[in-house]
Amino acid sequence: MRETKRFDRRQFLGALTWGIGALISAGLGIPAVAYVIGPALQRKEAQDWIRIGSTTKVELGTPTLFKARVTRRAGWIENEEELSAYVRTDNGRDFIAMSNICTHLGCRVRWVSGEQKFFCPCHNGVFDKDGNVLAGPPPRALDRFEIKVEDEQLFILGG
Amino acid sequence: MAARVSEWLDERLGWRKVWEAIFLRKVPKTNWYYTLGSAALFLAVNQIVTGILLTIYYVPTPDHAYDSVQFITGQVPAGWLIRGLHHWGASAMVILVGLHMLRVIVHGSYKYPREVTWFTGVFLLLAVIGFGFTGYLLPWDQKAFWATIVGTRIAAVTPLIGDWILRVMRGGDELSAVTLARFFGVHVWVLPAALLSLILVHLYLVIRIGISALPKRGE
Ligand code: HEM
Ligand code: FES
Repeated sequence: MRETKRFDRRQFLGALTWGIGALISAGLGIPAVAYVIGPALQRKEAQDWIRIGSTTKVELGTPTLFKARVTRRAGWIENEEELSAYVRTDNGRDFIAMSNICTHLGCRVRWVSGEQKFFCPCHNGVFDKDGNVLAGPPPRALDRFEIKVEDEQLFILGG
Repeated sequence: MAARVSEWLDERLGWRKVWEAIFLRKVPKTNWYYTLGSAALFLAVNQIVTGILLTIYYVPTPDHAYDSVQFITGQVPAGWLIRGLHHWGASAMVILVGLHMLRVIVHGSYKYPREVTWFTGVFLLLAVIGFGFTGYLLPWDQKAFWATIVGTRIAAVTPLIGDWILRVMRGGDELSAVTLARFFGVHVWVLPAALLSLILVHLYLVIRIGISALPKRGE
């Protein structure tokens, strides 16, 4: 009874071929996945204190828009980008800085002093002077920047 | 379970017949040199996979080509590996295709009825060389630039139409953004399409005719 021979030469070589094929595929496949998703996993670069202007420009009680230029790296390209923040103070000593990017889908909000509210032009989102949502689709208040004052100059933490 | 799925699929696709024709066909007594074609095929797959991956970051314009290649090798995880495989694979491919051709010559396998297999092979060789020539420019560094200046000048010594060939290759009188873009287009679209169609015909003929037996002394 020669039938009992379980694993002959032919089967062995077949299995070996599949095995080596699987090894090579994994050897290329795993680096390939890392290669494709790699840049997406990189954490944002360290944040830095950015000088945005003088405290004297902020009127008491009125959110004032400040703009600063920052350089951002995207892939192999360095871009000059504008960073904007609304700064508000009620007493000239304590400041808050709010992002002007709507928390709904990212349009720029605008302070309308007649109404004392922020309005978003895209889907009628409305925020109060502290950035809290009053109406419309935005899911949360305007984002805040950390802010500090040194020698009458305002700095926000960003990058 | 797996057996039932493959049974179900075979009933509809008839894939087993195809599998048998490709992998379970009868072959004459051969030697290791008969594997050179398969080795070239393996490298072709390697070039296709790593080449597609490179296009995810590579940008074929003079202001981005060099930086995007540096980004691949320096910043992207395993980027050095993917680019290295493509780079060395390109040279290995030329060598293997050359050796495969030699084996076909030495065994006299180009003779009747395999002339067409040989002809498709000649065009495969040209395609592989074309890949090497167009790919060499893409990193857009000094070596790439000057090698392509030289390569296009060599083409320009062709009698009568040489100057015209040079202008068509460069897309103008000088090596420029136009040259880089057309080399890229040829490298990732024209040549892969040609290579794949040629390989398909080449392998169809190898399987249809069956590979040649080793020639005997006095034949
Ligand atoms: C991308 C390049 C090429 C690939 C992937 C390729 C692939 C193959 C494969 C897998 C075979 C089966 C038998 C063997 O490996 O020896 C083969 C046979 C053959 N190749 Fe190629 N080949 C290439 C280039 C060439 C070139 C440049 C020539 C010659 C000009 C050529 C001429 C032939 C001939 C005549 C046969 C039939 C040999 C026989 O029946 O014994 N091939 N090729
Ligand atoms: S983006 Fe501001 S409300 Fe939709």
